[in-house]
Amino acid sequence: MNILTMLMSNWIGRSLTVLYPARPAVTEGYRGLVKFDETRCSGCSMCAFHCTSRAIDFRSSKTEYKWSYDPGQCTFCGRCAQGCESHALSMEQACPPIYLTSGALKCFYTVQRKPPAPNPEPSGNPQQEGSTAGDAR
Amino acid sequence: MNLTTALFRLLIFPGLLFAVPASWFFLWVERKAVAGMQQRVGPPFMQPFVDFIKLLGKGVPARKGIGGMLMTTWPLLALASSAGAVGMLPVLSSFHGFAGDLILLLALLELPSMCLIAAGFSSRSIFAEIGSAREATMSVSYNVVFLLAIVSIATSQHTFSLEALAQTPTTPLYWLGVLAILVCLPAKLHVNPFSLPNAEQEIYTGPLTEYAGFELAMWELAHGLEWVASAGLVAMLVAPHFGPWWLDAGLFVSISFGVVLLLSVLAAATARMAIDNTVRFYWRVTLVFAVLAISSALFMRIRL
Repeated sequence: MNILTMLMSNWIGRSLTVLYPARPAVTEGYRGLVKFDETRCSGCSMCAFHCTSRAIDFRSSKTEYKWSYDPGQCTFCGRCAQGCESHALSMEQACPPIYLTSGALKCFYTVQRKPPAPNPEPSGNPQQEGSTAGDAR
Repeated sequence: MNLTTALFRLLIFPGLLFAVPASWFFLWVERKAVAGMQQRVGPPFMQPFVDFIKLLGKGVPARKGIGGMLMTTWPLLALASSAGAVGMLPVLSSFHGFAGDLILLLALLELPSMCLIAAGFSSRSIFAEIGSAREATMSVSYNVVFLLAIVSIATSQHTFSLEALAQTPTTPLYWLGVLAILVCLPAKLHVNPFSLPNAEQEIYTGPLTEYAGFELAMWELAHGLEWVASAGLVAMLVAPHFGPWWLDAGLFVSISFGVVLLLSVLAAATARMAIDNTVRFYWRVTLVFAVLAISSALFMRIRL
């Protein structure tokens, strides 16, 4: 009889459907559109590798790379932001906007590759490094 | 029954003029009630009608290797038989039927199911074939119970005439038969937990997978008329006839509405059963139920 009680309370209670143009309330940890910070991006392309719905596209050349994101294909799983070691990707804490044209929210970035970081200075005492590693173990 | 009465029943009331809007209304009630019980908004009032018009305006895509005429014939045949079944219901006391019209009503109620099975196999789609196989298996299971229930009711009332059935005083045995029919209705109308032939998440829409446009609109309408006919059969058996036509018609519509609501509650409260469980249910549980009814009917006849 529990199911009948539940159905009755659902029937009497308020519908959970949110009718347009109202938007559902955003809660803590809500995953909206993927935001890209090109200043932080290292161009590793792991986001495109993680994206199973192929919403993120990454095309690379020697001098630059093109990063694009299509929210129409995105499932908002958050794997890209989770796997981004340079923290260039984050999820917006808001509902994606309503759009009427296909591909209206699609975004493209062309980022110049950063010159490779100079090799670190060889340390003066390799014997000491080895002993430190040994201590850590 | 003369020609005028027959035409009035088929075309005006309870036939097409009443039954077509009623079928859209019942389809809407079912969808809206299930949505309400699942905390959804559900479709607007005109949605089944709008769907029907939209489908009428759509073309049928070319289907290679499928007989076009055959595919068009099945929904039309189903629609004609459903409309005929609705037209045969003796809603008003002044409608004159004929001896044995209950048997014709049963045949007309069964024909849409047969058409659905044939349509699925005609369309050469694997999903449609699975749906048709399910419908055929279910049909064999629930129809035994359904026919036994009808026979038990007819035996208890000593008549196979619909009008006589509607007007004779009821007995406990009669109510047992009505209950058995109610148990069969979800399977007949493909409502949860017996929505196996049109299981959307598994086999798309089963036998109707290859249908579109005008043909699909005819199937939808035939299904709506099946709702009216099936709910109307229960209403016809249950509703007392008082005399004034408006009271009889009002009672018929109200009880049919109640049956639709009852089926909607069942649909919202249950999940789809597997085919083997469905068959087992109808053969084990309901068969006992119907056998009880028919044996009681025979016992009453001997006693009388």
